[in-house]
Amino acid sequence: MAIQSVFIVTDNYAVLPEFCAGAKNLADYVTAVVFGDEAAAKEHASCGADKIVFCPVSEGGAPEDYATPIAAMVKEQPKAIVMVNNSIRGRCLAGKLSVYLDTAVLGSVNELSVENDTISCRRVVYGGTAQRKESFTTPYGVITISSGIFDSPAEVSGNAEVLPIAGAPAEPIHRISRNEKKEGTVNLVAAKRIVDVGRGLAAKEDLEICRNLAKVLDAEVGCSRPVAENNKWMPKACYMGITGVQVKPELIVVLGLSGQVQHIGGINKSKVIVAINKDKAAPIFKNADFGLVGDMYKILPSLIEKLS
Amino acid sequence: MKIIACCKIVPNEEEITVLPDRTLAMAEASLKISQYDLNALESGKTLAAESGGSMAALSIGPSNFLENSKIRKDILSRGADELNLVIDDTHEFSDSLQTAKAIAGALKAIGSYDVILCGAGSSDLYLQEVGIQAGTILDIPVVNNVTGIKIASEHTLEVERALEEEVEILEVPLPAVLSVSSEINVPGVPSMREIMKAGKKPVNVLSIDAEITASANTVEQLAPEQQERRQEIIEGDNEEAVDALVSFLRKEGF
Repeated sequence: MAIQSVFIVTDNYAVLPEFCAGAKNLADYVTAVVFGDEAAAKEHASCGADKIVFCPVSEGGAPEDYATPIAAMVKEQPKAIVMVNNSIRGRCLAGKLSVYLDTAVLGSVNELSVENDTISCRRVVYGGTAQRKESFTTPYGVITISSGIFDSPAEVSGNAEVLPIAGAPAEPIHRISRNEKKEGTVNLVAAKRIVDVGRGLAAKEDLEICRNLAKVLDAEVGCSRPVAENNKWMPKACYMGITGVQVKPELIVVLGLSGQVQHIGGINKSKVIVAINKDKAAPIFKNADFGLVGDMYKILPSLIEKLS
Repeated sequence: MKIIACCKIVPNEEEITVLPDRTLAMAEASLKISQYDLNALESGKTLAAESGGSMAALSIGPSNFLENSKIRKDILSRGADELNLVIDDTHEFSDSLQTAKAIAGALKAIGSYDVILCGAGSSDLYLQEVGIQAGTILDIPVVNNVTGIKIASEHTLEVERALEEEVEILEVPLPAVLSVSSEINVPGVPSMREIMKAGKKPVNVLSIDAEITASANTVEQLAPEQQERRQEIIEGDNEEAVDALVSFLRKEGF
């Protein structure tokens, strides 16, 4: 069973093969909406979509400015689901589209299925305490999804028709400047091994010892929400949890972290979870494959030495 | 500038009980201001002070949340001069567009405003869309993930917005809706004086004219199944314990 039409809206070409493959399992016809010029769109003509519509964003403009013409295009279909890449721009577009299409946004959806000719979505609510399954009651629906929820196709094929968007962007906001972020970006989502640092760390300087462990394990370093948001010891992009990054490495070593439900929600797809915490009652141990109840400051130097 | 900071009252998710059939029991959970809305209130407080303006708080929800005097006082102790409430027991507001329609309705009832501030997302549903939707309904500019706000003129803000890999500086004409990132500030703890003053500030219950039907329904809501983990736990931080961990890692092929 499939629905008629899915529109994929993404500010990142990289997700197209995966999203198109996933959308094709749900719908008869898949239109991809991308942001850039015709040449870039044509380069992705084999991404798996039936049609690619490109929005030629101007130098000072933004993808979000195209919400009105995208909504007008979607409305040419009697029913449709709009699948938006779950990025910051994507969420802005999703919110605008939902108003123009008069429907809800179901955000950060982690599972999709077609039931009774309509899409059902599962998403995490209450900071990881529950999974909610919802379905749209209106002809249109908007969802945001992150890369990784569908299987990526081994190879892409297809020859999509490439067309420019009809209609002009609205540009109420003028961009004065743009700069690359200073902090190095880490890709925790793609990491195979992660060292996960919690509030058991006594001082920012002690991150060094965690980094040393990561070095001998060939791992990336991430952290819990308080370490990034309250202590600001690591960039916000490094925190894992329901409201942060959701990871699925082969190994995660969790240091001095109690294991609140919102953090577990971000790491529970890891294959092997190792926990080190001095509090025997910490919930993290219920979610660990292997745990050491002890002082991380005693354990780590010896562990690093033995692993070197 | 006239600033309105939106804040949602939610059950503390750490105190929600999961029943044996994996459904949730909320009755025991205490109420709190949604975590990221504290950043919106803090930004509003700062912006009101810098512009020589005022900040009002706005909250929408059921009577058992919003008639709680402790919660009202908590909101008002964080910089707002007054509190506007839309009390609604007929809608569940499980879909963010409903909430956005109610916020837009409340803003129309309030009449004049320059800056509407929202948090990144609510602690319960975390859709991260309400601010964008409310601004779009009102047909005013919206920006999400705002990491810095400067006053450029009486009618313009210079806004810093952090994207995944870049930071942009935007010139935003007012009125506008800004959803602030949790990176923008560290919310302060209200002082004794602020808490004392909060009880004397005005609370306005608004009646709004907005159609707020839901466009999605909840089919099921259950706690996730506990994932099977081996839970091989060893107590100790001596050499022997570390050796056990090392041999576990080796055995697993790391």
